[in-house]
Amino acid sequence: MSTTRTIALGKRVLDGNDQLAAANRRRLDAAGVRAVNVIASPGAGKTSLIIRTMAALRRPDRVGVIEGDIAGRIDADRVLAAGAAAAIQINTGGSCHLEAGMVAQALDGLDLGALDLLFIENVGNLVCPTHWALGEQLKLCVLSTAEGHDKPVKYPEIFAASDVIVLNKIDLIDLVDFDRAQFYEAVRALNRRAPIFEISCRTGLGVAAWADWLQAGPPAQAAPRPGERAMDTVSHTQGRS
Amino acid sequence: MHEMAVMSYLLEAVEAEAQRIGAQRVLAINLVMGERASVFDDSLLFYFDLLTPGTVAAGAQLHVRRTAMRFHCAGCDQDYSPVDDTFRCPQCRIVGQVTADGTELLIESIEVES
Repeated sequence: MSTTRTIALGKRVLDGNDQLAAANRRRLDAAGVRAVNVIASPGAGKTSLIIRTMAALRRPDRVGVIEGDIAGRIDADRVLAAGAAAAIQINTGGSCHLEAGMVAQALDGLDLGALDLLFIENVGNLVCPTHWALGEQLKLCVLSTAEGHDKPVKYPEIFAASDVIVLNKIDLIDLVDFDRAQFYEAVRALNRRAPIFEISCRTGLGVAAWADWLQAGPPAQAAPRPGERAMDTVSHTQGRS
Repeated sequence: MHEMAVMSYLLEAVEAEAQRIGAQRVLAINLVMGERASVFDDSLLFYFDLLTPGTVAAGAQLHVRRTAMRFHCAGCDQDYSPVDDTFRCPQCRIVGQVTADGTELLIESIEVES
């Protein structure tokens, strides 16, 4: 006779992906490579940011890039032309996000010993990639001013989960009615610890400060300090280039 | 948008657990899903029906408990869910601090027959 019972699991649905991500992380750590998972909407400037950042780093020749796109290899060719040591193009064939298993395969094709830094450019999407760990040390959210200051309210998950945020196209801020105060208010309600860099990939404004921060090897999982004021890690664009 | 991938991982985990405990059949899967987990019930059910035939989870009930994004207000010391297009406390209008981002996606339990 059969019996029925309830088994408590308390397991993450994406546990299978998390385990693959943890394996990726061990490979990256063992090779001394820091990986940045770059998440943004299409057109926010992910590839432009990678190219601009490489040019501002001391050793652009030790930067690798994994490009995630639904189709094509335009971005991989762009970063190679800009001097990346290696670029692997992943075509997801319709999937809205990269998964840890895809990145594991891409890592097989890279000489990690030749790299210090690895950008993993996710599929252009401000929603889905947030939920899939890849094994990265840093989750970077890129927003451009042209998308509007309301995005942290509309897409809170990525702003809550990011280790660092770049606000791109800052040269357009006055043309697109981007309300800086509302943007910072919403981001800081979600995330007090992520530094925010205001930059322009077109003019280069703010790129050096961001590249310096990235190069300095900031703690990826810094806990918020007790009593930390909401705005004290904000960097403003004025006076930074 | 990515419910098929979510459902594939979910069934993989459920089947592994069912095998581990020697269950003949999974009768129900109880999930906890944050309102910000980017997963829609209808789409999840669609892939559930597509992927479960022939597996130990065929015919199982899928129960989803939704959880909300929550903030804490330092002004009135209360937790709240945002009610408008800001993250401000509905009582004090102060901007609170997120305490639950509503992105959890958990298999709370499974009911099995063995």
